[in-house]
Amino acid sequence: MVLKAKGSLEPQDYDMLANNFVSDAEKVLEKSPYDTKLGINMARDARNVLSGKLKIEDFHTVYSASLLKEFGDQYASGPEEPKSKKEKGPKWGMVIDLKKCVGCDTCTVSCKAENRTPPGMSYNVVLETLSGDFPNISLVNLPRPCMHCDKPPCVQVCPTRATFKLENGIVAIDNDRCIGCRYCMVACPYGARSYDFGDGYDQEMTGYNDVTSPEYGIERGERKKGKIPEETVRKCSFCYHRLQRGEEPACVETCIGDARYFGDMSDPNSVVSKLAASPRAFYLKEELGTKPRVVYLR
Amino acid sequence: MITKANIDKRMLPSQEMSRLGKIEKIWWSFLIVLFCVGLYSIISGYFLQGMSSTYLSNIVPWGGWVAFYIYFIGMSAGSFLLSTLIYGFGMEKFERIGRSALLSAIVCMITAVTFIFFDIGRPDHIMNSVIYWNVMSTMSWEIHFYIVYIALLVTELYFSMRKDLIKLAKGDNFKAKLYRLLVGNKQEFTEADHARDRKRLKVMGMIGIPLAIFGVHGGTGSIFAVAKAQPFLNSALFPLIFILSALVSGTALSIAIYVIKCKVKRQELDVPMVRSLGSMLALFLGIEFIMVWYEYLVGIYGLGHEELGTIKLLTGSAWWWSFWIFQMGLAMFFPLIILFIKKTRESVNWILAASIMTIIGVVGVRFNMVVPTLIMPKLDGMPAGNYYPNLSEWLTSFGLIAMCLIIYTIGEKLFPIEESDSHENGVNVYE
Repeated sequence: MVLKAKGSLEPQDYDMLANNFVSDAEKVLEKSPYDTKLGINMARDARNVLSGKLKIEDFHTVYSASLLKEFGDQYASGPEEPKSKKEKGPKWGMVIDLKKCVGCDTCTVSCKAENRTPPGMSYNVVLETLSGDFPNISLVNLPRPCMHCDKPPCVQVCPTRATFKLENGIVAIDNDRCIGCRYCMVACPYGARSYDFGDGYDQEMTGYNDVTSPEYGIERGERKKGKIPEETVRKCSFCYHRLQRGEEPACVETCIGDARYFGDMSDPNSVVSKLAASPRAFYLKEELGTKPRVVYLR
Repeated sequence: MITKANIDKRMLPSQEMSRLGKIEKIWWSFLIVLFCVGLYSIISGYFLQGMSSTYLSNIVPWGGWVAFYIYFIGMSAGSFLLSTLIYGFGMEKFERIGRSALLSAIVCMITAVTFIFFDIGRPDHIMNSVIYWNVMSTMSWEIHFYIVYIALLVTELYFSMRKDLIKLAKGDNFKAKLYRLLVGNKQEFTEADHARDRKRLKVMGMIGIPLAIFGVHGGTGSIFAVAKAQPFLNSALFPLIFILSALVSGTALSIAIYVIKCKVKRQELDVPMVRSLGSMLALFLGIEFIMVWYEYLVGIYGLGHEELGTIKLLTGSAWWWSFWIFQMGLAMFFPLIILFIKKTRESVNWILAASIMTIIGVVGVRFNMVVPTLIMPKLDGMPAGNYYPNLSEWLTSFGLIAMCLIIYTIGEKLFPIEESDSHENGVNVYE
């Protein structure tokens, strides 16, 4: 135990010291054209609200009449009503800067590792095309995750509503409901959907089948013949399970050129919103009206 | 004339019966062997290995089974629409093929649904398609339409046969007992009953027309046509072409069934009816040709990269034969020529040949609707697909086609599919 030094200050003494710096409320308010008493009472009760002694609703009921009398039209009553439930929370979006993409396929590799996709399936691919004639050629790298369209053709066509749009903008798949008809694969203009044919890397990679990727936060355990998600359609989920733990999608985190940005498109001050407003921004197959949530910068 | 020759050559009933029995034995053993091979392939492929037993991939997710599914849907809708000419519009000169058209419509529908059932990755989730109805999905609507359509077909067939069922229910054999069960102990078939059944058939035919056009076949065409990701399919003309080729294959199927059945049983053929069915086939083929022409003209004129690529795949790739020989040859020009030249269009044998060509050729038409557009890459830099059905898919398909024929034959044998009063000269197998 630490012995108290003689003459040291108690917490109240510090308060006294602080009070000396605070100007006298009565004197200050007297200068204003409005009611002094009301101001002092409100300040006291506001402190009570902050400390939890008084409910904010009660505070408003107590003072609303006097405030209306004192301020008239300038007074706006009540706390701000939360807007409709749909507008709450982030709306995820991704920006891919093609000028920064070096075509290293790290996104593809990390996506495969994260989502443990079987052979022949990759949620993310980098499409490479050569354009122009030699020697004036350029190589275009186009990373292509799922576009998470705001008007998704895959959701339109699914006969069982097994694929749907989440409020946070992600197009999700309920593999437990999917019947595996593959109509969504035919309807997707970006070829972003794949069918799980039940193949695996277990012959070349020990332990591949030990765990299924916890897509959408669902732990499915061992990967076995005939077990979900086998024989259903799968696709990029913006690494929903990582978002749930506050992490970025695997492709964004591992991109060596920092070409990918991920964030809340509904926040006008987020990096993605600002980049999406850039004149360099474009969308894939914009003319189809799918309204993708993945923005490219050319 | 074939019919006259048949009458002249008529053998003694016992000889005739043994000949028929022999043909039937060959027919049955052929079908059962084919069906068993198909069954083996379904179990060893589909049930034990899942969709990896097919040649399908993530680039070409739909293949042979989907093609056969729309093929049989088409034949069903076509046969049904033909039967509505009789029961809905009272074209009684086609009366003889009415029930067999209805029966083939039912059987083709069952086959189509079986094909698409085996194309679904998770048969254990199949009920979800009925429980969770996505009203935005054309496929979801189709599933519900198919159920209503099959119910309507069965009811219509029942009422079209009721007169004969009542007549044949008197007896002690298995069939008579079955018929008694079906008609619910009704003893007499009066004029009033006849009139009421006619009216019922007419109403059902009338409900059936929009159901078959908008619901079943135009709807199945829309499953493909609404996919804006596939510019080759995404055209308003596509569902119409679907309906027309349904009419083509349905008419051809009805002609083929009728003529082959009469030939096997050495019954007298209604030659004028076959001829007018033949000219109907020619009419449908002609309209289909016009539609296909404009579909391709507009498609090519748009110079769309994917559209042009798909048409190039159809006409000039390794799959050229599917387009030129099957679609354009067997299912369009050869039958059109046969049905156009005066000499051949009057001969039953040539009309039969034209119908069989069409039935075979439409398989190619259906494959061309499904596969080439999927092979075409959706984005530059994506790999081009490759698809042809593998052995397992073929065996399953043949097995299911055998199943289709088995069910049809059972239906023909079990129920009075032929109008009993239409062959007073021939051997009536139902007595």
